[in-house]
Amino acid sequence: MGMIDRVEVPRKVCPVIILADKSISMDGLPIGSENAAIEGILPELASMNKENPDAFIKFALMEFSTGVNWKTGIDGLVDPAEYKWVDLVADGATSFGLACKELNNKLSVSHGFMKQASGSMSPVIILISDGEPTDSYSVALAELKKNNWFKVAAKIAIGYGKANDKVLEEFTGNPETVIHTNDVQELKNLIKFVAITSSMVVSTGQATKSNTDTNADPDDTTSVVADALKQAQAALSDATDPGEEW
Amino acid sequence: MADIQTSIRKNQKIKLLNGQTVTVTGKIGEGGQGIVYRVKVDGTNEEKAMKWYFMYKINDPKSFCSNLADNVATGSPSETFVWPEQLTEVTNGSFGYIMEIIPDRYKALSKYLQARVSFKSCSAMVTAAINIVEAFQQLINKGYSFQDINDGSFKIDPTTGDVLICDCDNVVSFGKASGISGKARYKAPEVVRGDTLPNKVTDRYSLAVILFLLLVGNHPLEGARSNVPCMTGKYERRFYGQEPVFMFDEQLDVNRPVPGLHRNAIALWPCYPDFIRKAFIRSFSQDSLLRSEGRLIEQEWLMLLVRLKSCIVRCMNCGCEYFAESTIATACPDCMAYNTPPGYLRFDKKRTNVEITIPIADGAKLYEAELDERSKDYNTVSAEILVKPGKYGLKNLSKSVWEITAPGGKTVKKAPGEVAVLGTGFRIDFGNGVTAEIVANSR
Ligand SMILES: [Zn+2]
Repeated sequence: MGMIDRVEVPRKVCPVIILADKSISMDGLPIGSENAAIEGILPELASMNKENPDAFIKFALMEFSTGVNWKTGIDGLVDPAEYKWVDLVADGATSFGLACKELNNKLSVSHGFMKQASGSMSPVIILISDGEPTDSYSVALAELKKNNWFKVAAKIAIGYGKANDKVLEEFTGNPETVIHTNDVQELKNLIKFVAITSSMVVSTGQATKSNTDTNADPDDTTSVVADALKQAQAALSDATDPGEEW
Repeated sequence: MADIQTSIRKNQKIKLLNGQTVTVTGKIGEGGQGIVYRVKVDGTNEEKAMKWYFMYKINDPKSFCSNLADNVATGSPSETFVWPEQLTEVTNGSFGYIMEIIPDRYKALSKYLQARVSFKSCSAMVTAAINIVEAFQQLINKGYSFQDINDGSFKIDPTTGDVLICDCDNVVSFGKASGISGKARYKAPEVVRGDTLPNKVTDRYSLAVILFLLLVGNHPLEGARSNVPCMTGKYERRFYGQEPVFMFDEQLDVNRPVPGLHRNAIALWPCYPDFIRKAFIRSFSQDSLLRSEGRLIEQEWLMLLVRLKSCIVRCMNCGCEYFAESTIATACPDCMAYNTPPGYLRFDKKRTNVEITIPIADGAKLYEAELDERSKDYNTVSAEILVKPGKYGLKNLSKSVWEITAPGGKTVKKAPGEVAVLGTGFRIDFGNGVTAEIVANSR
């Protein structure tokens, strides 16, 4: 190897994990929105990977209804540039507890998705749901909350229609990262916006609150993402009607 | 909700504060803070770049904007800086500024770090390092701090080592905070710890990180110890702030590079001459990391780097470029053959506390700053070592007449263009206050 031949400086992996509800109530336009949004995120994540020398985003998608299934496979996180998209098909119930249990399993170095040679950054975990859990989820969620990866993750939830925001809030641990919409077009925009903004904030290392506030808990990634989402949304509201309801 | 991208449209006209207008003709790129568009200055054929901010990424837009206006008024420290030239008026709730378009031959440092671009030669790489240090010096001399320094800020030509420094909108005078929080990897530990705002001394640390990344190809503080499964905020504070350890620290061996992971450092570190390794060991010593002490000033780096450039020679075995030590054998990084130069030039005076010796080997060059005390030119070749069967010569490429004295007392003059034969114990007076002696290495 000559002096000018190099290999890449190791990049931390930034795991982006999406838990997507595909229960039967999503059938029709909502699941269509969800599919279009998540599919649309992948090239954006791939292009972030081309630019960022600090982190490499890897992706996992869990679909849950009556059962749970890792769409991206059970071998681990995947490169968003290489994943071949297959649409989610709506069916079944909303086994949120099962989803929590399965996520807990995979948030592990020894038997899950988190073993990376160069190490990881705090994960980004995005939950999308449109209804009340149909299983008893309390125990599974409580277990999940003890998982160290989950603790340091940026957790965001998007509720659509009849989703119970209280449950979503239990999941994220922060009301500011629970975003609700009843509009199916907005659902698509929101999923994309949330996924891209939070992945950007975490993967570019902006998610350390100690950057600006040395007294803040440096591991509260969720609240940093909350701030970013808030600011971005405020900047993005393209109000044209001054009489618009606040 | 509107799409961020559509806040500026193609063909949209934007007014500048100086009354001119520009027309947006396309998009050049996108960064964390905003989007860069290609624009045409109306009424001229001039093309410029326009950075347009995501306002929500700016903590304190008012002071950010006034700092930017100050920088426009002060003007660029040198042509290395892609400096803000004119602010725009506020349009659709945001604003931006106009600057030069960066030519395609310049590639972002981040691409070198990802091994998507590589230097065409060792001398291009060292020239780039010199250019970066010079730019830093110019900036510091103007009283600015480069707070948001990171790998995206540098654009480098892989063939020549020419450097442009971008993101100059985040440059602020010392004592002010830019409102942008840079990446922990590039920030001085005392800034990560929250002990101080960025200042001249913290910038010198960031400079050393950039130089290490450029030359050695890994981050100085990333090794076995910092390779945790999850780099949480707490760990980030620890490894870059509270308990940082250099991967090649002389006393602490807890953070050595990991085989298979920090491959560049493992392969390249032993290939640098001792004086460069010492400079990094000092830059990232515990004294530097924990007490901000002992960091190299720009002038020291410049002399060390020009000396490094003078050490670039061709391997006698395979022809590959490598850095030769003056007095000891160096392994060619390509074919691993060991080469020892027959001797070296030892300069009598230290320069900015840097001792200068240059190996006598095929391809070694001396630069103007080495042969003229007053010169700040680290690029112009003033002498070159030539080889003929059985003898070495030094060609005078400077503007001065040299005086060479043999141990027996015989003196000859060598005018520009002439070649001086090098013999043991010869003394060369290069003029301009610089003298050296030829020292033979024992066989
Ligand atoms: Zn060789």
